[in-house]
Amino acid sequence: MPLFYPGDDKGWRGQNTEDGFCGNQLSGMAKSNTNDAKVLIRSLRSAYAATPISLKIIDLYVVYTITSAVIQVVYMGIVGSFPFNSFLSGVLSCVGTAVLAVCLRIQVNKENKEFKDLPPERAFADFVLCNLVLHLVIMNFLG
Amino acid sequence: MGAKAENGPKPPPPVSSPPPLKALVKLKTKQQELLIRAAALALIYVLAFAIRLFSVLRYESMIHEFDPYFNYRTTLFLTRNGFYEFWNWFDSESWYPLGRIIGGTLYPGLMVTAALIYRALRFLTFAVHIREVCVLTAPFFASNTTLVAYFFGKEIWDAGAGLVAAALIAICPGYISRSVAGSYDNEGVAIFALLFTFYLFVKAVNTGSLSWSLASAFGYFYMVSAWGGYVFIINLIPLYVLVLLVTGRYSMRLYVAYNCMYVLGMMLAMQIRFVGFQHVQSGEHMAAMGVFFLMQVFYFLYWVKGMLNDTKLFQSFLQITLTCAIGVGTLALGIGMASGYISPWTGRFYSLLDPTYAKDHIPIIASVSEHQPTAWSSFMFDFHILLILFPAGLYFCFKRLSDATIFIVMYGLTSMYFASVMVRLILVAAPAVCLISAIAISATIKNLTTLIRKKSKAALTVSSKATSNLKASAKALLDQSLPFQRNGAIAVLVGAFYLLSRYAIHCTWVTSEAYSSPSIVLAARGAHGGRVIFDDYREAYYWLRQNTPPDAKVMSWWDYGYQITAMGNRTVIVDNNTWNNTHIATVGRAMSSYEHEAYEIMQSLDVDYVLVVFGGLTGYSSDDINKFLWMVRIGGGVFPVIKEPDYLVNGEYRVDKGAAPKMLNCLMYKLSYYRFGEVTTEYGKPTGYDRARGVEIGNKDIKLEYLEEAFTTSNWIIRIYKVKPPKNRW
Repeated sequence: MPLFYPGDDKGWRGQNTEDGFCGNQLSGMAKSNTNDAKVLIRSLRSAYAATPISLKIIDLYVVYTITSAVIQVVYMGIVGSFPFNSFLSGVLSCVGTAVLAVCLRIQVNKENKEFKDLPPERAFADFVLCNLVLHLVIMNFLG
Repeated sequence: MGAKAENGPKPPPPVSSPPPLKALVKLKTKQQELLIRAAALALIYVLAFAIRLFSVLRYESMIHEFDPYFNYRTTLFLTRNGFYEFWNWFDSESWYPLGRIIGGTLYPGLMVTAALIYRALRFLTFAVHIREVCVLTAPFFASNTTLVAYFFGKEIWDAGAGLVAAALIAICPGYISRSVAGSYDNEGVAIFALLFTFYLFVKAVNTGSLSWSLASAFGYFYMVSAWGGYVFIINLIPLYVLVLLVTGRYSMRLYVAYNCMYVLGMMLAMQIRFVGFQHVQSGEHMAAMGVFFLMQVFYFLYWVKGMLNDTKLFQSFLQITLTCAIGVGTLALGIGMASGYISPWTGRFYSLLDPTYAKDHIPIIASVSEHQPTAWSSFMFDFHILLILFPAGLYFCFKRLSDATIFIVMYGLTSMYFASVMVRLILVAAPAVCLISAIAISATIKNLTTLIRKKSKAALTVSSKATSNLKASAKALLDQSLPFQRNGAIAVLVGAFYLLSRYAIHCTWVTSEAYSSPSIVLAARGAHGGRVIFDDYREAYYWLRQNTPPDAKVMSWWDYGYQITAMGNRTVIVDNNTWNNTHIATVGRAMSSYEHEAYEIMQSLDVDYVLVVFGGLTGYSSDDINKFLWMVRIGGGVFPVIKEPDYLVNGEYRVDKGAAPKMLNCLMYKLSYYRFGEVTTEYGKPTGYDRARGVEIGNKDIKLEYLEEAFTTSNWIIRIYKVKPPKNRW
């Protein structure tokens, strides 16, 4: 699954900028400690291949939203943050959906024993409800 | 099981109240318990409402104190003109000549709530006046708080503890002090919102459900809309999350609860204009954001750890990620701070962390009596036995540590600290103290009753129950070794009930004696023990309303600003909002200058009337002369012309013959004591004897040149002067 891999190591989770740095440092580290990093990457890739397809779709969605958040932040850096509420709505919409999607991923993941009793349908309904509220608020805030 | 419901200090009635005994017997134990519990809760609900009505019975249905008058005025505006007008309201009647953008500088939660209740009642064809709704809003929300306390207690410990918590908080004086009928202030609804948010959050952490988390975000939104104290929530919850992370209690449930609550709560809070972008810009809110990012890093690490089987590999991975995460975090924070994008902590926040800060830097905060550090006596006064039960409850919480008990422990400890820094914040600590004490009471009584019941039954049952209840069996074993255990248990139980009944008596007494005074109508005991009512405030404000031109500007110290605009319907220079320190300092300067200097200031501010509060005749001690040093300090903070030592003699503040010359001739002194030298206030004392300070005044022959007396109320508590127009040049 080479398609998923890059996002999964770099911009996989929340930190818009942090993960970018993280990836850089990782590659920097790789130069000095190539062997270790290669082993790490290989084992990560093989472990990720075993993930169910539904979770992979959620992962893709999360990567997509984080990327769009990063693009917005970069754009703000270039153009300026003047309608600040619009910028915030855009970024928080992305970050919010990403976080909610991760929550959904946690809840539907069969490996998480904490959520054994929670049916996936309920988890998805919660997810939709939260997204609905989030985007209604964002529409109000967009200005 | 019935013993559980008896735990409460208040509900002796529920035991006797259930209707026909035969029907009760037919019900199963579970149902009986439910019935008793519901009945007890209903009684507590009514009790919480009823105990707050003392003020209405003693005086009348009216709004209390200072800030509630502003809230009342804005609510009136809201119901008359609708929400959009309210949201865009520019108020030209206060802060003359600046004005104030009301819609953008207030927390609208309280007003909107009251207006909605009013609308609902009107819809149901109850012809109520909006004032009645405002007066009863706080008691109504206090009742709702008891319900939340019940569910919160149930979530943390068990239903018994919840019931006790509900009973305790219903009558806790620390909470009653801000929620009696007529105390129409933000705190009235905010404590409900605070506890509700915490309850929903704990519920979300326990279940890991997105819907509960969403609900807590809405609770947070309501809190943000109601009171500036929401900063406590947005700092306590991240702190709690951090503690769970550090103690290794991180869980997926926590991740779901916190992140959903933070993102949605932040988004919702930004809709309140007064809060605006603070969640991403101000230093007070940065902790929450930092923890939010930390959670992401944590989750990411957990996720990778779950995939990697090799621990050594994970260790190296962990090191790399942690170093870059911390590095980037500090870098972002440093850049934000240095560039001024993230505003530093405000003075109010500092004064909370460091009690001495306000005294040195912000006199306007230090001048308010409810911002003073708390004395031991007021802790005792407001919490009574809860103060002793609090540590016991902490012990029980530590004994049965869970995510929920950690939360309540942290809430209790932090709020206790803040309560000791500021008197006002006892209010925030009250729910936590009640909940933790309830745990102590409930657990103790439960242990004792099981002890008594075990003994009374045959020893056989012990062995059967031992498997299910290990602790009880250990106790039962202990029984054999200790003689008089049963009698001891009974004695302790009786003692506990005695203490709880004392608590109930104390609370009722405190409520009726101390916390039900509206402070706008004063009551005193006459020589024959009868009650004397001083209604001077309202007398003066109605005089203003009826005898001055509608566009008259009234200058007074800021304390009375809200009341003058709300009751007198006249424009004021400064009011209790205190948003512009310079403006207040200007008024302080005018009050502490000589008359001719003050006249110039008053001319520049277009002042038509000056209002002072004077307690020398009645012995009312919180008058303007006693507040005068704060006017000097606040005025001197902006205008160095005003120097505090000029008004003191050897560092002593006095108004008699030995007073400083500047003191004897400043505007405030003259206005307060004008013609007071002619009055005999007490038998056997010379004329001009000030009863509030117990001295004969130093300047009995006061002549006013630029002002003239317009009105003095019947007990001289309020004196109003008219500013004369400028003299003709010729």
